Amino acid sequence: MEIGVLRRDGRTDPFFDGTARDRLVIRRCAACDRWFAPDQAGCPECGAGELEWAEAAGTATLVTWTVTHGRPAADGTAPPPAFLALVELTEGPWLHARLDGIDPAALREGLPLRARFRHPGAGESYVLFGPEG
Amino acid sequence: MTEGTGGGTAIAGLGMTELGRVYGRSPRRLAADAVRLAAADAGLALGDLDGLLVSHGMGGSPGIELADTLGLRDLRLLSQLNSFGATAGAMVSYAAQSILSGAASTVACVFADAPLKPERSAGSAYHRDAPEWYGFGGMTAALGFRSVNAFYALAARRHMERYGTTGDQLGAIAVATRAWAAGNPRAQMREPITLDDHRASRWVAEPLRLLDCCLVSNGAVAIIVTGADRARDLARPPVHVWGWGQGHPGHRKERGSDFGLTTGALTSGPIAMKMAGVTPGDISQCQLYDCYTYTVLVSLEDYGFCAKGEGGAFAASGALGPGGALPTNTGGGQLSSYYMWGMTPLSEAVIQARGDGGERQAGRNDVILVSGNGGILDHHSTLILSPHPKGA
Ligand SMILES: [Zn+2]
Repeated sequence: MEIGVLRRDGRTDPFFDGTARDRLVIRRCAACDRWFAPDQAGCPECGAGELEWAEAAGTATLVTWTVTHGRPAADGTAPPPAFLALVELTEGPWLHARLDGIDPAALREGLPLRARFRHPGAGESYVLFGPEG
Repeated sequence: MTEGTGGGTAIAGLGMTELGRVYGRSPRRLAADAVRLAAADAGLALGDLDGLLVSHGMGGSPGIELADTLGLRDLRLLSQLNSFGATAGAMVSYAAQSILSGAASTVACVFADAPLKPERSAGSAYHRDAPEWYGFGGMTAALGFRSVNAFYALAARRHMERYGTTGDQLGAIAVATRAWAAGNPRAQMREPITLDDHRASRWVAEPLRLLDCCLVSNGAVAIIVTGADRARDLARPPVHVWGWGQGHPGHRKERGSDFGLTTGALTSGPIAMKMAGVTPGDISQCQLYDCYTYTVLVSLEDYGFCAKGEGGAFAASGALGPGGALPTNTGGGQLSSYYMWGMTPLSEAVIQARGDGGERQAGRNDVILVSGNGGILDHHSTLILSPHPKGA
């Protein structure tokens, strides 16, 4: 599956400012030091309405994954499969992610991963996750 | 206790339109047709209804304007409910509570949807595509999460990694469900399948194959809930509502989450069974929300029919199919019969409780468990139904 073209939405722009600079910028509650995904609206732990933007380490582990296969065309050809996953950032939050450069046979819960940034010709930069090291 | 409800509540009518590749009728029209069919089934006139609850699928209709379409006047209860796939159970419980409190006496509950289009594949009905995607949420879709399949695949894979659940165990659910569908004239897929057919079916989102995924259907289903004492005097045998419950786990997407391992059935099951005065050992048959084979497997665990992690072995034991110890999805479920969200398991439960299952009628129908599941395992409902009055 082709990765689509990304545009900003005004609510998560600091995340894309980060990906443009190869940084993983997510949300953090200053009041209770919990970290959240970039689209979290408030802290469900302490009730704080405002979350700050903060830079995560960019390291993660694999929680679970899937390989998606597009519907074959009439001539039998199918788009290349996509390796999709839930990854657990070192700071705690889970992100829905696309894996890059992984060995399918090596996939297992807990596999160490690291953020890899991509800067396409069109649209915003984005992040994939590949094997650590 | 309100007069006339001392015996609790019961489902007195069931209306089903043609289901599947049904074109040319809007969801609102389909919903109206189903309510008329349900009223006629119960031996009621539309004017006997004093409550209407509506639930829509992908199309966003019907809403409460359905009352006007049907010409219903002086209703005491009219609302649109939405807990996604858990809505059918929620509608029955809201109707039952309204009847028990005296707020209404005879309530129709209807679901309608028409996501299938004549010249498009069934899969495209639940698939997102766009030239551009917006924001962080859009990034998730841009990267490849464009249908519900991928999210359920993540859940199923996590269960496999944690408990050793296998693809063949998921396949056993697909095979058992299709065996039931063979006896259901309304089922869209009736040709029997084997485990080899399951193994040969194409990947959709590993570990889910095409035969692990539900159908897509157009159509509508309605039921009518009323006081059990009143239902006894109507056209069809009452299907008594013994208990209900909901569970919305709110799995956080962060370290320590049970996503993929458990469902809201952990909460809704005990609530509904306690209300009904039964335990898992008393359940004669299950009608479970089977958007995927995996959903059946994890629900069976959470309801306590087997230990956590043993749902795969339980399914592979043959318990679920015709002749098994726990007949499950006896009409062919969403996997093989028709996909009317929570109305698929509920409609089959009514048919089984009445003994109307024909060649697929399961041996015992005394206590039937019905589940609903919505979102990505975010919402769950449970009903306990019976042909017998509660406590009799
Ligand atoms: Zn906080």
